[in-house]
Amino acid sequence: MNTISSWRLLPFAVLIIFTAPLVIVLSSLLGNYSDNWSHLYEFVLLDYVNSSLILVIGVAFLVFIIGTVTAWTVTNYNFIGKDIFEWALILPLSIPPYILAYTFTGLFDPYGDANNLIRYLFDLSSDFVFFPNVRSMYGAIIVFAFTLYPYVYLVSRSALINQSKSMKEASRLLGLNQVQVFYKLALPMIRPAVIAGVMLVIMETLSDFGAVDHFAIETFTTGIFRTWYGLYDLQTAMQLASLLLIIVGVFYLIEKNTRGGSIYTSNNSNFSPNLEDNLQGFKALIAFLICFIPIFIGFIIPIVELSFWAYEVNLGFFNDRFISNAMNTLSLSLGTGIICAGLALLINFSVRFKPNKLVEKLSSLLSLGYAVPGLILAVGMVQLMVYLDTFLFSSLDIVLTGSIFGLMIAYVIKTYALANSSIESGYQRISNSMDESSRLLGISGWRMLINVHSPLMKTALLTSVLLVMSDVVKELPATLILRPFNFETLAVSTYTYASEERMLQAAAPAIAIVIIGLIPIIFLSKMIRSSRPN
Amino acid sequence: MDNLILEIKELNHAYGESDLTIKDLNLNISIGEKVSILGPSGCGKSTLLRLIAGLEKPNSGEIIKKAEVMTNHKIFIPPEKRNVGLVVQEKALFPHLSVYENICFGIHRNKDKNKIVSDLLELLKIDSLKNKYPHEISGGEQQRVALARSLAPNPDLLLLDEPFSALDEELRKTLYKEVSEVCSEKNSSILLVTHDPYEAEVMTDKQLRMENGKLI
Repeated sequence: MNTISSWRLLPFAVLIIFTAPLVIVLSSLLGNYSDNWSHLYEFVLLDYVNSSLILVIGVAFLVFIIGTVTAWTVTNYNFIGKDIFEWALILPLSIPPYILAYTFTGLFDPYGDANNLIRYLFDLSSDFVFFPNVRSMYGAIIVFAFTLYPYVYLVSRSALINQSKSMKEASRLLGLNQVQVFYKLALPMIRPAVIAGVMLVIMETLSDFGAVDHFAIETFTTGIFRTWYGLYDLQTAMQLASLLLIIVGVFYLIEKNTRGGSIYTSNNSNFSPNLEDNLQGFKALIAFLICFIPIFIGFIIPIVELSFWAYEVNLGFFNDRFISNAMNTLSLSLGTGIICAGLALLINFSVRFKPNKLVEKLSSLLSLGYAVPGLILAVGMVQLMVYLDTFLFSSLDIVLTGSIFGLMIAYVIKTYALANSSIESGYQRISNSMDESSRLLGISGWRMLINVHSPLMKTALLTSVLLVMSDVVKELPATLILRPFNFETLAVSTYTYASEERMLQAAAPAIAIVIIGLIPIIFLSKMIRSSRPN
Repeated sequence: MDNLILEIKELNHAYGESDLTIKDLNLNISIGEKVSILGPSGCGKSTLLRLIAGLEKPNSGEIIKKAEVMTNHKIFIPPEKRNVGLVVQEKALFPHLSVYENICFGIHRNKDKNKIVSDLLELLKIDSLKNKYPHEISGGEQQRVALARSLAPNPDLLLLDEPFSALDEELRKTLYKEVSEVCSEKNSSILLVTHDPYEAEVMTDKQLRMENGKLI
């Protein structure tokens, strides 16, 4: 009985730890409001709201267009390169927005490589600038849209692939041409999936710090950072973070609710898969360009530019600092990956071992952290660590604050959802009869987990560790705030170099981040290749 | 020849490199005529309807509708410009639209949508379902909606591809009669393909047989 109770208690205990920093942030709304609020209110708050709003609207509009049109094109038409585009369209996901922002400024600044090339090719004067200023709202919108559109592409493609051919044929016979079929029928039918994808993009955009900071755009995240580090006012920073958290929460709820739009899917048992139309000539070229341009801007340009920078410094980047940062990153991400995978295994086992609706609900709530911006998590975590230091080590000064411990907890909260999704799908493949058999053989509880489930879950465990690692490597704002003094990771090092305009030196850590970021992309592309109904 | 709604001449079709599914097929249907083609599964019945609807391109031959070439070696009119209705077993109702919206879907803007839809809802006895969604109604009701949707744009020719085969026998028999009456009332020409002789007998005036892609 005691064993069963402890299994049931586990999700409760973890949920308390996971939600503690968020509760601390939100509780700041009930605290005192400092004089800095009048400064914020009079001078910058409106700018934060306006910039965030314009950024979100622009990015949402662009990702909607790019994501749905590319998904429609690769799902419904056959043309040169289609098989490659199908998975290559998700490659930009491996480039964090802040790295694309750095490469864009390196390329398109007045004396960036692209403008230099134009001046050289056409023998123009040195003050001639061809490309418009990229350090602007438009530049930021393009950066976010071309790194985040795969969220919309993935969900749209998955929804379109499940649309029956007969629906499309019926609409053709009712008078719709191919373009009309897309926007009058296919798009409304996949609306819930598209909305969910766009909401994810909005959450990511609102959470970003690195790219908007580099472009000097005043959004909520840069505002929180400046209030804390500029005005040294943690309480006001937490109150600002609470506002952002509430906004993100609204988008999170919309995303969750729209996923349940069952009436938008056909439950017809006579489903006939979509067959592609063969495109040739000009139409094939158009389809090729529709798919190639997003990959070119979101993946090829940054990779080429980063490689070019890395080549310029020869092997000079491969110094002690790089190795030390890489080791820090590796150990942090590996540690977080193992903790997340272990935790997800234990919690999923507890849900399976003693099924209970409340426990199941609580377990699903643990994945909420993924939607919380890293910056907010960091703000809450700092305060939590201060409380814990005061409570546990009152005689000492600082133990947990600014330690690896706080940083790793923040990573675990932020990336648990990734590990959980992999472990959850791994558990779905283990039949319940296997549990029954082991129980009849006298093996249950920990022994069942260690001797039966763990060996069967090896691949799922490895996948979850890798997925978590690739996300931790990219995380910037939480690392910047929570890292111990003088402790650098690849993301922090990239940020530091870029903020000092030392782009060539930023290339090596950035490439390392992108390479590690490719890990989940490889998994996703494998899933995409095997997801065709035929 | 002026009263012909459909003329098919020397039609041949194969899927990819496989054998011909339709072989030198000739067929004429007059305005208001109801024709059925009987045959076993895989004999090419459904392919013939898809060729007429413009959902497949033939290897050779000619399809003429109301004296206008729809398909030959030079011309291929896309399905949306053929004004042909097709009802299949799968129904293919749009799940995100209500019954009313499904029926409206193919009606051109300048027409009186409300009147057309109301008449069809009444004719097919589904007026009470107009605000419901496809997943909220039964299989038989879904099939009536699919038929109403196909009839709404007032097609020159209605193609029926074993539309009732997924329904139970009693409901099937009711629908045979009702659909036949509705089509007579609208003076619609029908081409039905089926493997059920009873369905062909009840619903159409002329029955043809098809075997291995040929009308015999």
